[in-house]
Amino acid sequence: MAIDTTVFVRERTGLAAYLDWLQALTGTGLILFMWSHMVLVASVNLGAGAMNTIARFFEDTYMAQVGGPLIGITFLLHFVLAARKVPFRSEQQSVIWKHGRLLRHTDTWLWLVQVVTAMIILIMGSIHMWTVLTDLPITAAKSAARVQGGFWLVFYLILLPMVELHVGIGFYRIGVKWGFIKRKDRKGMKRFENILTAIFIAIGLITIVRFLTLTI
Amino acid sequence: MGRKLTFEIFRYNPKDPKSVPHTDGFQLEETDSMTLFIALARIREEQDPSLQFDFCCRAGICGSCAMVINGRPGLACKTLTRELPERIILMPLPVFKLIGDLSVDTGTWFRAMNEKVGSWIHTDKAFDPAAQEERMENAVAEEIYELERCVECGCCVAACGTANMREDFVGAVALNRIARFMLDPRDSRTEKEYFDVIGTDEGIFGCMGLLACEDVCPKNLPLQDQLGILRRKMGWTALKNLFSFKRT
Ligand code: HEM
Ligand code: SF4
Ligand code: SF4
Ligand code: FES
Repeated sequence: MAIDTTVFVRERTGLAAYLDWLQALTGTGLILFMWSHMVLVASVNLGAGAMNTIARFFEDTYMAQVGGPLIGITFLLHFVLAARKVPFRSEQQSVIWKHGRLLRHTDTWLWLVQVVTAMIILIMGSIHMWTVLTDLPITAAKSAARVQGGFWLVFYLILLPMVELHVGIGFYRIGVKWGFIKRKDRKGMKRFENILTAIFIAIGLITIVRFLTLTI
Repeated sequence: MGRKLTFEIFRYNPKDPKSVPHTDGFQLEETDSMTLFIALARIREEQDPSLQFDFCCRAGICGSCAMVINGRPGLACKTLTRELPERIILMPLPVFKLIGDLSVDTGTWFRAMNEKVGSWIHTDKAFDPAAQEERMENAVAEEIYELERCVECGCCVAACGTANMREDFVGAVALNRIARFMLDPRDSRTEKEYFDVIGTDEGIFGCMGLLACEDVCPKNLPLQDQLGILRRKMGWTALKNLFSFKRT
């Protein structure tokens, strides 16, 4: 109930601010990781040798063995932080759903897309990370075999657009929330972000096709 | 001959136990420069005297005529019917307490909000009625005035997904209000004191950047930019006081 019954002075705490910082920082970290990840995986388009060399480098320097789990932790931390804002109660879900349909407002829809893609990424991203990190070293041949098996092809065809949408919207949202994107830049930045998202999905699709046609 | 407009208007009187929420349809011929205010007044005059809605200034100044117009919160007196399709759906603002039909009580909400964020100049200086008014830089005065133009219509609150989901969220209007006092050299509140008011999940850190507030504000207040500035300011305040928040 919204009746104001508080009689004590609330304790002074910066908790909300720190959690919001962490949310933006883990989000930014994951965006940077996803961009590097795309470079790594898409290197297969230059030939299996290129991808193997890069993967070898990351394993020889132990960046994959240490960095992988670190990304996993960041991923989970980001989820826990962002979950503070996710409507988990059915009552809130129905309010925001009706609100979104009534308002027909792009940015409100974008947020809903972010929440829904987040839940899918949480599950599929975890499965993907576990599969890859428990089967090191990463090689083009192993990845190609997975994709050609069929199951992982469908899996990646779903996960790819989910991640790119979430990353794209997240990038834009950090910009507007923290005031890096001003009123006058908003339209242009949204366009830029849409194009970037489309390019990343395109590169991802080309890469998947490359894995499909790679002779092992 | 003007267009034939069809109005679908939400009807419900919470005071009447026999009343159930429903929609009533009305037909009206469009006239030159017809606003929703004119249309509603004619419907009440000619078709249904029991229709409830709020108006006062009819010039976009008092903020009392806000309602949901084809899904978007807006001021009825400022909305020309020619900008709308022939079918016009009117609903009361959500979040606020319904008085009846299209009329909501924004006053109670705004009073509570203004009290919560301390929406007045905080100063220890004794007021001297004989003294000349303190001067302020013109640029500062203009900046304050830009934020001061808010008419408390409630559109930004009704359009905010966060405010709809969480009734403890203060909304863009309150955050804009605090931004206005931060600019004001007469307000003696410190950064930490402002932080106590809005450095929470009920305040700026609850905002998710959906920017519906920015897109519906009928006075076109720079809400997006102010929210960004506040988040950065409050974020820095928290970082600067990482180890000393509890004290002082
Ligand atoms: C475990 C899976 C994930 C979940 C559940 C999740 C959830 C969310 C949610 C609900 C938001 C919106 C928060 C808000 O509006 O306040 C968000 C924001 C964001 N997410 Fe994720 N996310 C996940 C994974 C990722 C990944 C893998 C990336 C990057 C590759 C990412 C990047 C971002 C960014 C940049 C933001 C904006 C941050 C902000 O608004 O402060 N997220 N996430
Ligand atoms: S930016 Fe969005 S969440 Fe923040 S106050 Fe405006 S409408 Fe609400
Ligand atoms: S900020 Fe704009 S939308 Fe919100 S109450 Fe003020 S005038 Fe209305
Ligand atoms: S009647 Fe005053 S703003 Fe519309």
